[in-house]
Amino acid sequence: MNYIENTYVCLAAPLLLAILFLRKDARRLLIFLLAGMTACLCSAYVSAYLAGVTGTEAITATYEIVPVVEEVIKFLPLLFYLLIFEPEKKSPISGALLIAVGFATFENVCFLTSYGTADLLRLLIRGFGTGAMHVVCGMVVAVGLFFLWERLWLRAVGTFALLCFVITFHAIFNIFVNQSGAVFWIGSAFPLLLMLAYLVFLHRKVDLS
Amino acid sequence: MIDQIDNGIQIAVLVICVTAAIFKAAKYRSRTWTLLAFFYGSWLLGDIYWTVCLLFYGKTPEISVVSDLSWYASYIFLYLLLRHTSPPEELAVRKILPFLGPVFVLGMALFFMRLGAILNNLIYAGLMGLLLYALIRRLTERRNRCLPALILVFCLLEYALWTASCFWNDTIHLHPYYWFDFLLTVSMPFFLPATRKAVAA
Repeated sequence: MNYIENTYVCLAAPLLLAILFLRKDARRLLIFLLAGMTACLCSAYVSAYLAGVTGTEAITATYEIVPVVEEVIKFLPLLFYLLIFEPEKKSPISGALLIAVGFATFENVCFLTSYGTADLLRLLIRGFGTGAMHVVCGMVVAVGLFFLWERLWLRAVGTFALLCFVITFHAIFNIFVNQSGAVFWIGSAFPLLLMLAYLVFLHRKVDLS
Repeated sequence: MIDQIDNGIQIAVLVICVTAAIFKAAKYRSRTWTLLAFFYGSWLLGDIYWTVCLLFYGKTPEISVVSDLSWYASYIFLYLLLRHTSPPEELAVRKILPFLGPVFVLGMALFFMRLGAILNNLIYAGLMGLLLYALIRRLTERRNRCLPALILVFCLLEYALWTASCFWNDTIHLHPYYWFDFLLTVSMPFFLPATRKAVAA
């Protein structure tokens, strides 16, 4: 039996203490990281609840329920920050990335506690793959949110569309990583390849800062 | 088998289209091309999701919300593309003729809802109504009508495809659904030149 809330407490405690002592930007970035981990914990509960209510099998839930819940809950801390603090363009983009990183980190820790730490190669692929997938999703939402629309209602509609976009991407990733053999490798490597392609071909042309 | 071939061709065409749109978006740093890339990308992801579910699990998704979300997103991006390429003075004009779009959509939605999936049909109707309203408004302006005309053809093909799927019959080898889906695939690359024209105008 895994008690992920206990794991969460252990990981969050030092971050919380650090947040008390840090100032301004560093504090804000650490809060984003912690928000990502908290979002991961909440989405685990909500996904399990919805899977139970709808009577969905665990494997089916990973590609039909989990992506929807995870992407929506991951977006909530960013939405809260945007609505309450009305920040400049630059900080929410790094915030969205850090939320994604916090989310992926906690998800990987949960994966470790469930499946053990014996197979380093698989863990390496899993770690980079999941990390890249969450970062890609976070980046798409953040970039779309700030650079594509100028009016509030267009931003709301467009952000919904972007969320739908990343949910499907996430679902496809989950289907691939649930398989074995070459399909698992391709699925895990794909977000990494997307990030690499972005860095090689588009990074200079699209300046996110 | 024909289903897989149909999906495979559509995915291949969309991969080429989305790559072209991304490179145009990066080259010109253009919001218009970015929206087109997102339209292609959303449609592509919906197709891939549907196809891999069939491929790995041998069944279409039980809760088909994920692929539907992706297709909702593509209609929204198409609407935003249309809106973004419209001159501001056109957006301010109010006419009666564009309301034909939502009326048609409502009628079709009532027809489809007889088969169930009420919420899903309502969402599609809302998005299609918005899209048809915007594109008929653009078509009445008599200038730069290439992109809205193409989107109109695309929407009508979608409705033909959905209607054909309501009368599914396994005894017909090449069901009209596949003809319309193939035509839809053929129409996809034409969004690239139509968008280029809209950007140039």
